This record gives sequence, C-alpha cells and structure tokens, in this order.
Amino acid sequence: MTDVAKLVEERAKGRDAILQFALEYKAKRENALSGENEEELKNRLEAIRKNSITNLSALKSRAIASLAANGFVVHEAKNAEEAVEKAKEAIGKEKLIVKSKSNTLDEIKIEEALEGREVVETDLGDFMNQVAGNKDMHPVMPALNLTPRDMANAIREKFKEVVEAKPEAIAGFAREYLREKLIKAKVGISGANAVTAQGNVIMLENEGNISLVSRMPDTHIIVVGIDRIVENVEEAMHVAKCSAIWGTGQKWTSYVSVISGPSKTADVQNKLVVGAQGAKEVHIILLDNGRTQMINEGFGELLQCIGCGACLNFCPAFHQVQNGFGCDALGGIKGVVTQMFRKGKQAAFECGAFYCLTCLSCKFNCPAKIGFGKYLLKTRELLVKEGLEPEASKKMAEKAKATGNPFGSSSENPKELYCC
Amino acid sequence: MNFLERLTRRNTLYYPGCLAKFAAKEISDKYQKILKQIGAEFIMLPNAELCCGSPLINSGHPDIAREMAEKNFKIFKEHGVKKIITNCPGCYKVFAKDYPKLVQGWDIETEHTVVTLLRHFEKNPPKVEKRITAAYHDPCHLGRHMGLYEEPRKLLSLLGVDLKEMPLSGKESLCCGGGSGVKTNYPELANSVAKERLEMAKKVANLVITPCPMCFKHMDENAEGINVIEMSELIDTGETK
Repeated sequence: MTDVAKLVEERAKGRDAILQFALEYKAKRENALSGENEEELKNRLEAIRKNSITNLSALKSRAIASLAANGFVVHEAKNAEEAVEKAKEAIGKEKLIVKSKSNTLDEIKIEEALEGREVVETDLGDFMNQVAGNKDMHPVMPALNLTPRDMANAIREKFKEVVEAKPEAIAGFAREYLREKLIKAKVGISGANAVTAQGNVIMLENEGNISLVSRMPDTHIIVVGIDRIVENVEEAMHVAKCSAIWGTGQKWTSYVSVISGPSKTADVQNKLVVGAQGAKEVHIILLDNGRTQMINEGFGELLQCIGCGACLNFCPAFHQVQNGFGCDALGGIKGVVTQMFRKGKQAAFECGAFYCLTCLSCKFNCPAKIGFGKYLLKTRELLVKEGLEPEASKKMAEKAKATGNPFGSSSENPKELYCC
Repeated sequence: MNFLERLTRRNTLYYPGCLAKFAAKEISDKYQKILKQIGAEFIMLPNAELCCGSPLINSGHPDIAREMAEKNFKIFKEHGVKKIITNCPGCYKVFAKDYPKLVQGWDIETEHTVVTLLRHFEKNPPKVEKRITAAYHDPCHLGRHMGLYEEPRKLLSLLGVDLKEMPLSGKESLCCGGGSGVKTNYPELANSVAKERLEMAKKVANLVITPCPMCFKHMDENAEGINVIEMSELIDTGETK
C-alpha cells in the first residue's frame, strides 16, 4: 500500500465529517450573505488585502511606530525560532500559560517550544485536540474529526471525569476546567486577525476565550504574521466581517476585540496608571518566517489570505486527506506553497503538491479572490525541475514529449488514463 | 490542392481529445456520427494532431506543453482550421484559455460540443418519447474554468432529461477526482473523491450524466448502485443500442 493510499484510508472518518460540515456551512454562509452584495464584499476585501501585501514594508514601519506609541512592546521576528525566543523572554519564568487558537502560534510551534511548562489551549476544539492527542485538522474547525463520543472518552481518560457525549456537556466541562486556569495564569498568548498601521490589533471569536486570554493574565503576548497589517480599523472590521461570513457562515461572530494597548486608568487624580483590570503588558511579535521571500519570489497573492478556511471546505483533495494536504501549514494549495518556503521543495511534494485536482473550487470560495491555481502550477514546475514529481507523471511527460500524446506510442486502449 | 485553395479554406476541426481518441473510442465515434447527423461539416486530423497539452500544463511541464501547442498550431494552420469543436472540456479550456498565452498569433475559435449541440437542438428540438430523471455532474473544466453551467442543463432538458441537482453543483460542484493527473498519480485519492461525488449523486438520482470523457471514465469505474453516462449517449444516431 502506498503512503497516499494509507493516508486516504486513515482519514476516511474525517472525510464524512467534513462533507457534512461543508453542506451545513454552505447553508449558513448563504444565510449570512443574505442582504449583502457578495461581489462588493469580495472586491473590497481583495483591495484591502492587495494593499496589505503590495505596501507591506511601509505599512509595517507605520504599524511598528503606532503600536509602540500606543504602549505595546513591539518585536520583529525573522523566523519561528526568533519569535519563540521573544515570546519566551516575555513569558519569563511563568509555568502556566493560557493560549487561544492561532494558526500563527501553531506555525512557530509554541507548544513544543514551551515543553515542561503547562500550555493550556482555551479554544474548545484545540482544547479537545490537546486532551485527545489529536492533530489540528482545519483552520476554523480544529477537531472536525472527533465525535462527541471521542471527546467524552478523552476527557474520561485524562481527567477521570464522566461527561455525557453531547456538545453542551463537553463545552460545560471545558468552561469549568478552563476558568481556573484563566484565573491562575499570569501569561496569555494569542494570534490576531489583523493589525492596523495605526496601532490596533483586531481579534474575532465566538467562545470568549480570546477576550479572557488577552485580558485576565498580567501579560498578553500576540504573535501575528506581517501579512496581516491593514491601514486602519475600518479596513480591519471588513476583514473581520468577511472572516465571520466565510469562516463560519455567520454575519458576525459573538466578539470582535480591538486592542489598542495595555489596560490603563486615570481615575485617581487623573494620574495615568498602566494596568487596571486587563493586561498590564502587551507584547506583539510581528513574524516574517518566509513571507517576504514569498512576496519577492512572486507568490505574494497567496498572502492575501485571511485564514477563513473557505477554500478547503469544498476542496476534494482536502476532503479525503484533511491536513495531509498542506500538512501543518493547513490549507491546501497555500499550505503546500507555504511548506515550500518554510521547509523546502521536498516538504511541498510530501504535503501534496500533486494532490490538487485543479478544480478551481478554492478560488471560487475565496473571499479575497486569490487565484490559487497558478501558484500551484508554478510550484509543480519548480518541483519538477528538481526531479520531484510522481512516477506516473514523469512517465506521462516522457511519452508525451516522444510521441505527442500522454499515453505513448502503444496508445490503443491505454490502462493508465493520465489526462487533463 | 493549390496555394490559393489552401489560403482560403475555412475548416472546422473535430478534435476528440486523447481520452476519447485512444481510451474511449466509442465517445469519439458517437460524436462524429452526431455531428454528421446535425449537418456540421468538419475535418479530422487523427494522425497529424497532438495532445492539446493539458496534462503537461497541469503536471509542471509547461515547456513541453508549449512545444506541443506550437506544433499543433502549425498543423492546424496547414489544414486551414478556423474553428475547433471538441467534446473534451480539458482540451476546450486549453485551446480557449491557454493557447492564446502559449502560441503567438493564436486565432482559432474553440467550441465545446455542448454548445454546438445546444445551438442545433434549440432550432430543431428532438423528439422525446419518454423523459428521464438524472443528476448532472459539472466537469470542472467546463464549469468553473469556462463558465458553462446553463448550456449543458438546457441541452439536457431538450434531450428529455428532468434534472435533479446534487447538493454541490454548478459553481460549487465537487470534482469527480480524475483530473490533473491524480487518477494515475494517486489512484486511491482519486477513487475516494469519485466515491464521495457518486454518493452525492445517488441521493438525488440513479443516473448521472456528464459531458466529459474523463469524468465519465473515472466515475463509471467507481460507480456502485448508480449508472454513469457520457452526454452523447442521450442522442439517438439510429444504431441499435
């Protein structure tokens, strides 16, 4: 059995779950889009995100100055190691860290880097993945492949608590368990959906855990990709709105936070005191990790992504193998290309550069109108030049070059239908 | 044929595409019969034409694709081809969208048989004895790549099909799993996609129709408890079935 055959078999359960999710998501998204002009929303998002990428270096300089002026402690990190280092400095000796869901934190592998300390996931899906030892399967539905029964079993095994195998009971258990951690933790760590050049950080969520992670501990650390900088809060709100519609099919999520510095008060004789009820210290780590290189090498359009995951919901390859397509850089074509820049061409090949069916469903579902297909073909071309291609593909190209058709000279009734 | 004749010829080429030409000849034979029956004049170049280049474009071999495109253009020009009719959505997309970028001076019109047949049957509605119910599978190259969603549906209706739409269809159609080399590179992945698609079709009908030789072959190989046919099978050309 080939590796891909094994992967498809292993992920069969996830396939059925994601199809069900995709159909429900489709209905919810259609509902969220009622009364909206879908094309206008997309065009505006595309323009905002294009500007983010084409003017990245100017926006970044302005954001750094504004964030600092607003009282953030600003760090820049060239790569994951640097980001981890800065985060560790800010964490200091603290042993308990509460964390919210963030694909950027996953990118820098913060949990591994903080081994030996207690890093508690506070997003329910991530929390359940942590409890069950499951891997992140989808950018907005991390535990898509776990049934309520799997979750209840995992809770019983880890905490010796009997919880009914129902979503309400599981959420109730997490609420109670996580409250205690949130009160005790001195450090909270999160990602962000957008940063503005005027010094604001925007985060959206339904659960409320990000609000708590960012406000209850003394120190809040934000790790965010440099591609997420937009001009101002108005633009960031549009990103947030589109993230809600295309991410989870909601008109708005329960919460959208705009953080513009640490908590403060001037209620005592108008004297400014930093640190009232929220975080006393807010660190923001602006992460590059291959993004500038992606832009310089002509793949910048992929960074228009807002991380909503809509591209994957109707992706036939993703349905079959989930995070086998893109690996830990979740996200189909963007995942594959990201792997190429982070880990090299071999990683891009192994993470499914040739799984894509070029069906174009990702482009049609992307609110930022990213033309994924051309970057996939460009990636395949770069891989082929280094001899990285499936054996069947290589044979087909040889036959086509020699005989003018993909089946070769003995083309009567070919068995291998390499085509289209 | 003299030089002047060569210059002034305006030929329409029927281009079956490699799959219908080599692996599913019945589809190519059928389309030839249909085109003759509706009075379309066409030539064929089975020994001269090359693959359109689609599998090479999609597999990271654009240089070979360009070479083939240039050779094809030269061959088409030598035969006075002004228009190509093809039953393959992959070839259709490549001739219409990629050749203008690959070949300098490309000026040949391309049409998918769905459009050719729709034009004919709208003017000459066929006699339908008994209407049937079926699902329609949008080939990615015909739908999302080329924007033909309504035309095949209108044609189906004229041919006596009452359509049952799958939960994911039209712009949101789910791929059959056969394209972009996946069928050969990773057959288990391709088959798993096909099964997902066919399960969806089974929920609405016991027959699924598609105007693409690849979608047809791939879904047909994976079908259990549902029939898959290529669009041309709906058209009576007089022979016994």
